Order: sequence, then C-alpha cells, then structure tokens
Amino acid sequence: MTAAKIIIKEIKGYHNFVKFLIVLVALGALASLVRFVFGLGVTTNLNDTFPWGLWISFDVVTAVPLAAGAFTLGAIVHCFHIKKLEPLVRPAIVTGFLGYSLVCVGLLLDLGQPQRGWHTMVYWNPHSPMFEVSMCIAAYTTVLFLEFLSPVCEKFGYHVPLRLLRTIEMPLVVAAASISTLHQSSLGTFFLIAVDKLHSLWYNPLLPLLFWISAMCAGISIIIVEATMSHKWMGQPDESELLETLAKILPYVLTLYLTVRLFSLFVLTEGPLFDRPGLVGLFTVEMLVGVVTPLVMLMNDSVREHNRLRSTAAWLVIAGVILNRFNVSMFGMMEKGTMYYPSFIESVVTIGIIAAHVLFFVLIAKYFPIFEHHPETVDYSLPDNFHKTDKVGAPHGKLASEA
Amino acid sequence: MSEITGDFSKNKAFLIDMTKCTGCRGCQVACKQWNQLDAEKTTFFTGEGYQNPPLMSEYTFTRIKFRDYEKNGQNEFAFYKEMCMHCNEPACASVCPVGAFVKTKEGPVTYDAKRCIGCRFCMVACPFGVPKYEWSKAFPLVRKCTGCYSRIKEGQKPACATTCPAAITYGNRGDMIKEANRRIETRPEKYLKKLYGAEEAGGTSVIYLTALPFDELGFKHVTKRPLPSYTWQALRLVPGIFLTVGGSLSLLSWFTHRKDRLKKEAEQREESGKTPKEESK
Repeated sequence: MTAAKIIIKEIKGYHNFVKFLIVLVALGALASLVRFVFGLGVTTNLNDTFPWGLWISFDVVTAVPLAAGAFTLGAIVHCFHIKKLEPLVRPAIVTGFLGYSLVCVGLLLDLGQPQRGWHTMVYWNPHSPMFEVSMCIAAYTTVLFLEFLSPVCEKFGYHVPLRLLRTIEMPLVVAAASISTLHQSSLGTFFLIAVDKLHSLWYNPLLPLLFWISAMCAGISIIIVEATMSHKWMGQPDESELLETLAKILPYVLTLYLTVRLFSLFVLTEGPLFDRPGLVGLFTVEMLVGVVTPLVMLMNDSVREHNRLRSTAAWLVIAGVILNRFNVSMFGMMEKGTMYYPSFIESVVTIGIIAAHVLFFVLIAKYFPIFEHHPETVDYSLPDNFHKTDKVGAPHGKLASEA
Repeated sequence: MSEITGDFSKNKAFLIDMTKCTGCRGCQVACKQWNQLDAEKTTFFTGEGYQNPPLMSEYTFTRIKFRDYEKNGQNEFAFYKEMCMHCNEPACASVCPVGAFVKTKEGPVTYDAKRCIGCRFCMVACPFGVPKYEWSKAFPLVRKCTGCYSRIKEGQKPACATTCPAAITYGNRGDMIKEANRRIETRPEKYLKKLYGAEEAGGTSVIYLTALPFDELGFKHVTKRPLPSYTWQALRLVPGIFLTVGGSLSLLSWFTHRKDRLKKEAEQREESGKTPKEESK
C-alpha cells in the first residue's frame, strides 16, 4: 500500500467531526490565499479608520491569553511544586504550542509584508511594544516547541534528545513563565499609546498588569475546559480531582484581577466613564458575566466539585477574557458613530484558525502520548542524573540501540 | 528615535496661518507633483462642503479641509490644512517594531519603506491619524508626508510651503513660535489666542494660527504629553520584570526541589540505615 493510500484510509477512519474540522481548515487556507492574491483592502473590512480588525483582535490579542495555560500550569506545578497537577501539564503545553504557532500564522496573514517578518529580529526598536511582543512570541514558540518535543521523542523512542530535554526542563519552565509575563502584559502596552482613542472604561496605565492577570485566569480556565472536554468526548482519563485543585486556585487570581481592575477604573482613570451606553453595556457584561459570576460560583465547594458547573464557570471566565480583549482592541477603539465588522473572508480565516487548533489537538492526542503521562510512572525531580531517562524509556527500549 | 536631541527650536517647522489661507489647494497639487502621487477619482460634496478629496489617503498626503460658518449674517469659509505634524517625539517612531520611522535632526519624520513590515501599529498610534495604508495592494506599505525631507537636505523648502501664496511660513521652530506670538499680539482681534502644535503631543513641527476655535475646524483634541512616554512607562520595566520573575521562580523552584531531594535522601538513609543494623545482628 502506498503512503497516500495509508493516509486516505486513516482519514476515512476519523470521526465525522474531525472531517468537518478538516473542511473548515481547508476553507480557511483557501480564504487566506485569496487575501494574498487580491490584497487586504478588497478582502477585509479594514480601512484607514480601522487599521486593525478581527485578525489582530482575535488571532493575536485574544489567542495569546487563551494559550496562557502552558506557562501558568508549568509554574504552578514545577516552581510552586504542586506536583499532583502534573498530568495536566502536557495537554496544556500542546495547547500552548498550537496556540502560539497559529498566532504566528494569523500575524503573517495580517502583515502587509509577511516576507519581511524577520525584520523585527534585525532592526531592533526597544521602544516598541510590538518589537517586544514579536521577540517574545518567537522565543516562547521555540520554548513550547522544545517542551512539545518530549512526547514526540517518547513516541519514537529517541533517548538522547529525551535526556537533553530533561536536563533543560526546569530552565524552560522558568523561561516560559518570564517570557510569558513580558508579552502577555506588553499586549496591554500596545493600547497605552491609544490615548484619547481607547475609551476610558478600558484605558488606564495598569492595562499591562490587567492583561497579565487575566491571561492567567484564561490559562487556568482553558485547562479546566480542555480536560473536561477531552474526558467527555475523547475518552481520556478523568482528571476531576486535579481540576478541583485548579478551581480552588482560580478564585484567588480572579479576586486579584477584580481588585486591580476596580482600583484602576475608579482611581487611575481620567476620562468620562459612562458617556456611551453601548460601551457601558459591553463593560457590564464583561465584568458581571466574565468575572463576578464565575468568582461567586467558584467560591462554593458544590460548584468546584460538580464537573459541569465547574466547567461552566471556566467557560464564563474564558468568555469574559475574550470579550475584554475585543473591548480593548476593537469596540473601545471605535469612535462614536463609526463601526467595523469583519468581512466574510476575515471570518472564514479566523474560523479556520480555531478549527485548526481543535483539529491538531485531537490529532496530536491521537498519535502522541500526551495524556498517558502520569507522575506515578515518571520521576520528575530535578534531572540530576542521566540514568533516569533510561527507566522511563524502557517501554520504548526497542529503538534504544538506534538512538 | 535615535536622533532626538531634546531641543527642538532649531528644527525646521511650518507656521500655517489659517486666517491667510484662501483655500486654493495649491499645496495639494504641489504635494502630488513632488511626491508623484496618483490622482484620485473624486467628486465634490462627498466630504464636508467644497473639500476634495474627502479624506487623506495613500494618494493624498495633505489636503485643505473646508468649514462653513456664519459671520455677520454672511456665509464664510474657514480652512484647515491637514498633514503630518512631524511631532518632536513621534508616536509612530516609538511604536514601529522595525524603526521604519525616524525623527530627523532637521525636523521632518521620515519613513523607510524598505524596513516596514506593514503591521499598521503607526496608524493605531498616531494621534492625528496621519499614516495611511496602500489598501489597494496585495503587499501594502504605509504612506505619509515626509516633510519633503529630500528637499530640506538640499536647503530647499517643502513643496507645499514653496507653492503656498500666503499662509505657510517655513523656518526654525523657535522662530516660528515667536512669529506666531508676534502676530497674535499685533492683531489680537484677528486671532484666537492659542497655538495648535506648540504643546500638542509634546510639541510638533507644524504650528497653526486660526481665528475659529480649533475643534470647530476639525483639529483633534490631543494630549500635551509626548505619546511615547505613555508606553515607555510600562516598557522600561521590561528588563527588571524579566529578571525578577525569572530569578524568583528559579529560586523558588530551587528551594522546593531541594526540599524534595532532602526528603528523598532522608528516606534512602533510613532504608540503608536499617539494613546494616540488621546485618550486624
């Protein structure tokens, strides 16, 4: 049987939902081709009044905090040493790696000159938040790629790279957390330059700090939602006990966020707050549905222990963060009487990117050991001696001689 | 960003006296000719009153805005020349990730099309809405007024200032502000007692004198603080935060792992401690 036939046969065996995702991704890829042939002006609803649209608001400004689970959990598990959460780390890393790779794709589509993307690495301008974010995203995508290599190497039984990866595991975790702190917050710094443009409900000097804290909320929530869903739909192990622990951490971060948010709103903000009813509405929904409701929910034991309620609360947090990023980067930036909405092509591309994320996650989970990783079977203390990897790699020992 | 000196009084600047503007739009034509910009197909009355083209664009770096108003029961026109303000501390130059915008020591803010990656951050950042994008192209770049930098370097005036029959004076920024204040003093009944551009966005190289309030003419209300300082107050913390977060997390994990290691060693010692005793018995 030829390789093509094997692949076709494999794809035929997939669940219909996965096939549907493949169609969406293909449509998105097609739509992005259209952008390169006909240009940004024709295919998008962007213009000189709205230079940034859906692709920046969702594919970059929102997708980055949604991929924050990897660094948050990495720090919780490895630095704060809450070891029992370890089985959740790998799925989070895969989500993060996919998220950041797709952020890069979205960014390249949105750039006028994507072939010059490397210019940021050469012509440094440290005064630019965009320079800082692009350097960080490049660095962090590399870190996530290295972390993602572990399950890949285990799958193919490459022992030497595994030993190396174990050695640099802790430095990678620390690097991930510090780099993420920088660029998650710098995404907020983007909008500090928009004085008199971004509405005062969102514009305040603490925007970077708020972006960082809310990114951690989103990261933790994504892990809860993802683990619940992969247990329900993909038959992966039930991690509800671990998710309860995470759900216990989340209210603390949410409270911190709410406190800083209210402080910056009422103490540090200068302009008028409640002059535009539409924006006040969006703000109210963002705060009540996205922050206060899940906070109250998660403070109850009964909610944290209940699978569906816990994942509902996590969904609310995610929705709140998404709305917050759209409010900052899109709705709050609209001048009174002007309106931007994404074009058909823009929407198809973004839907394609979301579909690609889910699709690749499902496929990676299918072919690589990302859930089968449990602390009982693996020694995760500091990689101070080389022989430990041998024990771990024992099931794959067949290929040891080749490696 | 590199050539900012702190003293901008020797920078070349425009003094645009809107009360002397006749709305001939010679500046628009001169700008198109010098910069070799394509014509736009436009019609009258798509913008406000007689102004044409309706907006600045990739093909139009400057234009005269028309404003109708009533004076002594008669309809009158007021004008406003829209163009790049060539800020002392430009927001576009500070946010550009590749440093494509440069505040030259002569005054104009120039744009290097060879560096630009087309991210449009400059358009988001500019408080005056000046940089425009080549929306018609598949691989677009940014376009904006460069203050005719190539002419300035040769000791000439910008194209629009050369053409303008009455309203534009061009010279050192310090002298232009002095001249503007002199005009306000000598004819106080004619002018609004304020300069636009002296302090806006931390000061610009385009100074306006008008008879009507600025907001009625369509001048944007802009903060007096230089815009780069808004982002810099956060960005300057970046190295410190990186070291603090990285350092404290490393320290924390070193301690937690040490605790782990000591516990394990104690367990091992206990185990190995038992066996020799048993052996000795």
